[in-house]
Amino acid sequence: MNHQSSSRPAAPAGCGVAGHALVECRASALGELRGRAGPANAPPIPLRFLRHADEHTVVGLHAVLAVIAAGSSPPDLTRHAVIAAPCQSGRLAAARTLALLASDGAVSVSPHVVPQCSLHSVAGAVSVALGMHGPHLGVGGGPDALAEGLLAAATLLVHGDPECTAAWLVATDWEEEPALDAAGNPAGDPVCRALAVQLVPAGEAGDDGQPRHELSLAVRPLGRCESRPQLHQPAGGIVAFARALAMCRAGTALAAWAIDCPWGEIRLTARSITKARVREAA
Amino acid sequence: MSATTRRRRDEREPVVITGLAAVSPLGATIDTIFDRLFAGVSGVREIEIDPRAKTAARFAAPVAEIPLPVGIEWDEFAKLDRLEQLCLAPVAGALADSGIDRSPNGPRIGLVLGLGAEHLKAWELDFLAAGRAVFEPRRDPTIVHRLAARTGITGPAVTAAAACASSGYALALARAWIDAGWVDACVAGGCDILSPTSIAAFYNLRALSRRADDPTKASRPFDRDRDGFVMGEGGACFVLERQAAAAARGARLRGELAGVGMSSDGVHMVTPSTNPAQAARAIAAALADAGVSPGELDYVNAHAAGTPVGDVAEAGAIRLACGDATEAIPVSSTKSMTGHLVSGAAAFEALACLGAIERQAVPPTVNLDEPDPACPLLHVPHVARPHRVVVAASNSFGFGGSNLCLVLRAA
Repeated sequence: MNHQSSSRPAAPAGCGVAGHALVECRASALGELRGRAGPANAPPIPLRFLRHADEHTVVGLHAVLAVIAAGSSPPDLTRHAVIAAPCQSGRLAAARTLALLASDGAVSVSPHVVPQCSLHSVAGAVSVALGMHGPHLGVGGGPDALAEGLLAAATLLVHGDPECTAAWLVATDWEEEPALDAAGNPAGDPVCRALAVQLVPAGEAGDDGQPRHELSLAVRPLGRCESRPQLHQPAGGIVAFARALAMCRAGTALAAWAIDCPWGEIRLTARSITKARVREAA
Repeated sequence: MSATTRRRRDEREPVVITGLAAVSPLGATIDTIFDRLFAGVSGVREIEIDPRAKTAARFAAPVAEIPLPVGIEWDEFAKLDRLEQLCLAPVAGALADSGIDRSPNGPRIGLVLGLGAEHLKAWELDFLAAGRAVFEPRRDPTIVHRLAARTGITGPAVTAAAACASSGYALALARAWIDAGWVDACVAGGCDILSPTSIAAFYNLRALSRRADDPTKASRPFDRDRDGFVMGEGGACFVLERQAAAAARGARLRGELAGVGMSSDGVHMVTPSTNPAQAARAIAAALADAGVSPGELDYVNAHAAGTPVGDVAEAGAIRLACGDATEAIPVSSTKSMTGHLVSGAAAFEALACLGAIERQAVPPTVNLDEPDPACPLLHVPHVARPHRVVVAASNSFGFGGSNLCLVLRAA
C-alpha cells in the first residue's frame, strides 16, 4: 500500500471573491424578466435569447449580469468559466412535457427541452449569452448543489483550466420547491432565485489600490484521519451564503462562514487587505 | 503553451487508470466490448418504445442486459430505476476491477458522475410507471450520493453535466482532485439511458437519423449520406489513481489520463460553431497538457455523431489543432457502432482509446461508405486497422458549445 497522502489533510483550494449578486423573482414576474434586456452597463442579452430558457436560467443569467453591472468596468469575459449549480432545474418544463406526451404523443415534445432544461443548460446559456470561452459545466442538480458547485468551481479555477481567469458560480433554486398542477403550473406564486459569484485566483479580488475586505473561499476535503470541524454557521442555502458574502464585503462581519458537507469544508473568510499586501502575498 | 500549463504539467504526478467497467450496446464486459468494437459490430437495432411516445425513430442502440454488480443483492438492485442500475453497475464494477482497498482505513476515494439530465429521466421513468413525482414538491438526494453511500465512497461526490461531454468532464474533475491531493483515488465516468421523451425531443429537433429501413446502417459518421445520429445508452466508469500509488500496490495499469483540454464555443445553445477555433483550442490544450505534439498522436476517437454540421465542424477542429500531422493520424467514430451514449459517450469513447492501446489497432467507423469531402481526415472505414497506438485522443462536444478533449497514453 502506498496511499501516504490519505493520512494528512489536503491543501485547500483558495479563491478570491470578486463580486456577487442575488436575484429573486416570483413565478408571475418571470415572463417580464425573460424579455428584459439586462442592466445598462452590462453586455446586452441577444434578442429573445431566453425565450425557451428554463426559469433557473432566466434568474441565473440576470444574476451574472447584476454582478457585471455592479463592477467598476466591464470585465473581459472571454477566458471565464461558468459552473452552474441548479437544484432541480427543468422541473416545470418536464411536467408540461410529460403531461403533453400523455395527451398528444411524441409530436408534442418540445425540441428545446433537452438543450434548455438539462443540468448543463444554465451554464451553457451564460456562456453563450456572454461569449465566454472557458469551460462551462452544470453541477449537482439536487439539494447539495451549492456545495457541489463551489467544489467544482474551485477545482476548475485552481487545479483545472490553466487559461481560466475567473470562474462564475451560478447557484439557483426555488425558495420552496413548488407543487405543480397537471399542466405543470406551480401552485401559488413561488420565488425562483439565483446567486452569482465571481471567483478569481487568490489575491486578484480587486485592483483599486484601496484598503478593502478581501473575501476568500477555501474548499478543502477532509483528510481520512481528520475529524469534522466545528462549523461557525453550519449549513445554509444560497440566501444564507449571499447574506454572508454581503456582510463580509461590507465589513460588518469578518467571521468565517462555512457550508455543511459530509466530505469536508467550504469556508468563506474576509480580512482587511491592501494592494501592497496582495503583492507581498503573491 | 502558457507558463501555467507547463508548470502544472511538470509538477504533476501521472494519474493512471486502474479500474474499468462499462455497460453498453456492445456488451457489459471489457473483453466483449473490445472484441465487438474491433470487429465492427453494430449495436443498433429496432426497439420497442412506450406507446405514448411512438415516433418514426424506432431504432436505437440499447443495453441488452445490465449485470448485477458485485456485492449488491438482486432484490435490492431490482428496486432501482433503470438509470440508477445503469450507473451503479459500472461504478461498482470499476471499483471491483481496480482491486483498491475500500476499508475505512483505506485510501480516500471520490466519485464524479457525468449525468446530464438525471432529474428529467427520473421524473419520466416515474411518470411512465404512473408516478407523480414531477408534480410533487420534494427534493431527493441525487444518484451520485446514493451510489457513494451504496459503494462505501466517503470522499467528495459530484454530478457533472456538459451535455454530450458530461462523462469526460467527470474524468477531468477527478484528475484535478487527485492532482490537488483531495482524494487518493476517484471513480469517474458516466452513463445515460434511452427514454421516450429524449428520443422524441432529439427527433423533433431533427438531430436523429431517419434511416428507418436499415437501422444498422443509420449511424454513419463522416459519410456523405449521414442524416443525424442514433441514440444509444450505457457508459463507462474508471478508477483513477496516482501512478506511484497504483504501482506500489501492484495494480494493473490500464493507461494514463495524460491530458485534458476544455473550452466553450460561446455561440449557440444547440448548434456547434462553424468556426473551429474553440474546439481546436480544447484539442491543443489537451495535447499540451499531456506534453505531446500532434505528430505523436497515434489515434483520434472523434466525437462525430453523424450530424451534417457537427462532423464537418470537428474535422475542421482536428485539422486546425493538428496541422500537417493530421494527414497521418487515423480518426474513427465508434458511435457508428454504439450510437450516441449522450452523457456516457465521452467515458465510453475514452475506453475505446484504451482498447486501441491494448489491442494495438484502431477501431473502425462502420457505414463509412463514401467519406464526405468536407471531412478530410485519415478515416478508418468498415474494418479495424492494426496500428501502433501509444497516445490516443478522444473528443467530446456538447450542447451549449461545450468542447472537451482527453489524451490517454499507454502506462
